[in-house]
Amino acid sequence: MRLMRLVVTGTAGAGKSTFVRTVSDIEAIDTDRTATDETAQIKQKTTVAFDFGRLSFGPRLEIHIYGTPGQSRFNFMWDILIQRANAYVLLVAAHRIDELVKARQIIAFMNERVQIPMVIGLTHRDCPGARSPEEIAMRLGYTDLSNLPTIVTVNPNEKNSVLETLNVMLMSYLMSQLAPDLNTVPARQNFGQEEYRPRVQIVR
Amino acid sequence: MAINTEKLGYILQNFVSTTSDVQGAAIVTPDGLPLASNLPGGMDEERVSAMSAAMLSLGERIGQELARGAIDRLYVEGNEGISILTSCGQDAVFLVLAGKAAKQGVLMLEIKRALSDLKHTLF
Repeated sequence: MRLMRLVVTGTAGAGKSTFVRTVSDIEAIDTDRTATDETAQIKQKTTVAFDFGRLSFGPRLEIHIYGTPGQSRFNFMWDILIQRANAYVLLVAAHRIDELVKARQIIAFMNERVQIPMVIGLTHRDCPGARSPEEIAMRLGYTDLSNLPTIVTVNPNEKNSVLETLNVMLMSYLMSQLAPDLNTVPARQNFGQEEYRPRVQIVR
Repeated sequence: MAINTEKLGYILQNFVSTTSDVQGAAIVTPDGLPLASNLPGGMDEERVSAMSAAMLSLGERIGQELARGAIDRLYVEGNEGISILTSCGQDAVFLVLAGKAAKQGVLMLEIKRALSDLKHTLF
């Protein structure tokens, strides 16, 4: 049995805890506490250490998923969790563009510490005010097509959607093992789901 | 009623300066924001608060998952000293940093006393 550690990160309210809870085979471990900061405007509770979930991916692969806290004051947890991760997903709420600056800081934080495959998961795309993947990629600082990470749409409440994202992360990981110079999955046009967007094309 | 942060600060200052070998103390929200603190120079209040909240939540999880019951306090003992975390009612976490020479019995009594003062001020 092969073990993989995946990290789910992103700003507060992006859907990290839900993501972990939805896909875990065991009852996910959470460390939620009542939010008293600006997060309280979005939701009542917030993660203060990490979320943990586990699932078997076929007979030979076990996945451990760790969800990080969203607020930067917990960045010591980001550090602890990312150090042993094989890949990570950055969840971004597509309708809260003000948070993108913070998401960008998370990317910088992780990049400083590890060179592992990364996937961007867009959540809340059905919410009013949701921006396009192209715009979000731009605002996250990806202006260059050649180093664009894979971007997917994910609904953290739907198990299939979360599984698809894990699939993409696994692919990214495998690709990085095969060809360490490439940090992205090659573009694919269809992944069987309509809302699934394997890769954002930026038209310049 | 608003929280009297000045008084919280005063209680912490008093606690730190009168208890021997106590080097710092902080009272923070369970989601890791500072309420009041009296910490050694160079320690960032925000960071200390977040760490306290993370640690206590994990400790409480361990208590729950590993059938240790409700957690009274957590110790993190290093060769330079000890940190003690206690919950202070529903809405606050109390952190104490003590040197390695601290007498544990005295420390526990003093913490208990400070806790009751803090609770009184908080609620």
